[in-house]
Amino acid sequence: MEVPVQVVGVSKSFRLGKARHAVLNLFSLGKHRLLPGSREPSLSTFWAVEDLNFSVSAGASLGVIGPNGAGKSTVLRLLAGILHPDRGCISVRGRLTALIEVGAGFHPDLTGRENIFLHGAILGMGRVEIRSKLSAIVDFAGVGPFLDVPVKRYSSGMYARLGFSIAAHVDPNVLLVDEVLSVGDAVFRLRCLERMRDLLRGGTTLIFVTHNLEQLQAICDRTIVLEKGRAVFDGPSREAVRAYLDAAARSAPSHSTDLPEAADAGGPIRNASLCFFDDSGKETGSIHPHRPFHVEFRFHSVRQVLRPVMELNLRAPTGERLASFNTGRDDWVVSVQPGSNRFELHVAALQLAAGHYFWNVRIWDGESGRTLLDSQMSFPIFVEDSGDATGQLSVKHDWVALAGSRTLGTVRMSSPVAQAKDVEANREALLLR
Amino acid sequence: MIASALELYRYRYLLRMLTVRELTVRYRQTILGAAWSVLLPLTMMAVFTFVFTKAVQIPSLNNLDVPYPLFALAGLVPWTFFAGSLNQCSNSLVANRNLVTKVYFPREVFPLSCVASLLVDFLIASAVAAGCAGYYALQGRFTPRIGLPCITLPIILGIQILLTVGAGLLLSMANLFYRDVRQALQIGIQLLMFVSAVVVPLPAMDTLWGRLLAWNPLVPLFSSYRDALLFGTWPSPAGLVYSAVVSVLIFLCGWAAFRRASASFAERI
Repeated sequence: MEVPVQVVGVSKSFRLGKARHAVLNLFSLGKHRLLPGSREPSLSTFWAVEDLNFSVSAGASLGVIGPNGAGKSTVLRLLAGILHPDRGCISVRGRLTALIEVGAGFHPDLTGRENIFLHGAILGMGRVEIRSKLSAIVDFAGVGPFLDVPVKRYSSGMYARLGFSIAAHVDPNVLLVDEVLSVGDAVFRLRCLERMRDLLRGGTTLIFVTHNLEQLQAICDRTIVLEKGRAVFDGPSREAVRAYLDAAARSAPSHSTDLPEAADAGGPIRNASLCFFDDSGKETGSIHPHRPFHVEFRFHSVRQVLRPVMELNLRAPTGERLASFNTGRDDWVVSVQPGSNRFELHVAALQLAAGHYFWNVRIWDGESGRTLLDSQMSFPIFVEDSGDATGQLSVKHDWVALAGSRTLGTVRMSSPVAQAKDVEANREALLLR
Repeated sequence: MIASALELYRYRYLLRMLTVRELTVRYRQTILGAAWSVLLPLTMMAVFTFVFTKAVQIPSLNNLDVPYPLFALAGLVPWTFFAGSLNQCSNSLVANRNLVTKVYFPREVFPLSCVASLLVDFLIASAVAAGCAGYYALQGRFTPRIGLPCITLPIILGIQILLTVGAGLLLSMANLFYRDVRQALQIGIQLLMFVSAVVVPLPAMDTLWGRLLAWNPLVPLFSSYRDALLFGTWPSPAGLVYSAVVSVLIFLCGWAAFRRASASFAERI
């Protein structure tokens, strides 16, 4: 059977700097010579994608993850035929729709209805087809009352919903989706995932690029991890996510970071740092969500502070505060002495889902209320994957059978059925977001 | 090339929608709407009529046996179609950067839809020009000679469209790589108008000016329109064949070059 998507040895390079033809150099060279010290920018080649190989069968879904600049979007654009590979070959069979930017073809002056026809045509549909799907598209996007209003008056959510809705109704053989589900509200996001799963069931091949690892695991059975244009992992999504997070943790900055001098130059507190120790007392940058650990807080003070209030905050990468440990609220009174000071914070278990988090520290003078130290997102920490959790928390738990069933033991689930359950669980987790 | 043509055919509905978009967007939120498509040739007709018949007397215009405004319109309406198309085509890919870099479909549809939307304008302007001819006929200053030579009109228009599309493909592609093209085109169009005999009769062939004009594939087109519509005579076959050959060549070269280059459009735009 023919595979809908096949990529063999594909590489793509871009030229950096100004590319000019010899003829036009005549004009610009003269100009550059007039400016002392300026030279023609040298041309260098940047390989956005290197030696990529994969194939996807009908009805399968492939996720693509990787840090920014890893070449994810380039891969999608190569598949869509917008870019052409320098080496290797790509074959895509059947109708391909790329959701690379929602509503790229919209014209602000045209009404919703006109844009449905225009955008539908851009995505390769004919008039009869669009007409037959019009009401489905409108219902899905939920823009019924505004159908004859120019889209420039739409809210950005409506705009994006309409864009996705049109693309989702093309019935492609191959659907490429690039980071578009971050738009719209939670309900709409869920509906998009639902639609993608419907398409998958109908035999559509899906290639999904995202930074949202939850969505990825909810949709894709298999995932490729890209790093600097190369596929560093290709396998089950769950393992791919772990490989990706591990790689990210390795490349994250050192776990104990000295604050920049400028940040605390004015106050009495200098050289603040946080170090993390696991339950065996070993210094570490990544901790297990279910095991105890402690944080050592060191700093140097130029004078005595009699009643300081110290606070350690744990934050998500978005800056959102997840937990706060405050000596004032805990009624723990201690004084800061001139010279070096060390304190320890003991935590039973963090119970957070795998990922990157940050600590920041603040110290006030309890008497004057003056801020002595306020570090921003300075101390990164990585929480390991406990292997049994999706969602934002990784809560320690046990199951107990009370009646009607017997505990037979624990089996590491890896069958397709178990994976399907996993996917289901992920989907629910998304709803809760 | 046949495969490309088939692919274009598959996207014919997109071509139609983009043409409709061009037209809708051009005239939406305007007061005069589609009347703008007629105003340009009509204004130019008024200006040239004033200049050539009132301000400076041009001897060759005295022995025309049709009113000068009609003579001028017969050249200005197709000229506006040609010049306007080139102007819009040159910008068509760059103006749709968002689509060029985000969605795949044959890129030819952008210049093609520009030409198609201006063809609609051309047909409206032609109807208004026909109205003007009717007005002069009612006043008895013009005898319509609509006869058999009119069957050549679709051929003349076909050649003109082929030439326009060919040049439009080349210009849209060239402007994508070097934005100088659009600037140069503004000058080029002004100059081209003077060597296309748009509003003046053809000079004699034995003059330098006449020999220069003979190279221009537009010249036989404009005089053929006049021959068939105003004078009721058969257009010169030699001139039309010359125009047709040049147009087909420009069209084929333009399209082939466009096809070849379109692979790199998304990264060079």
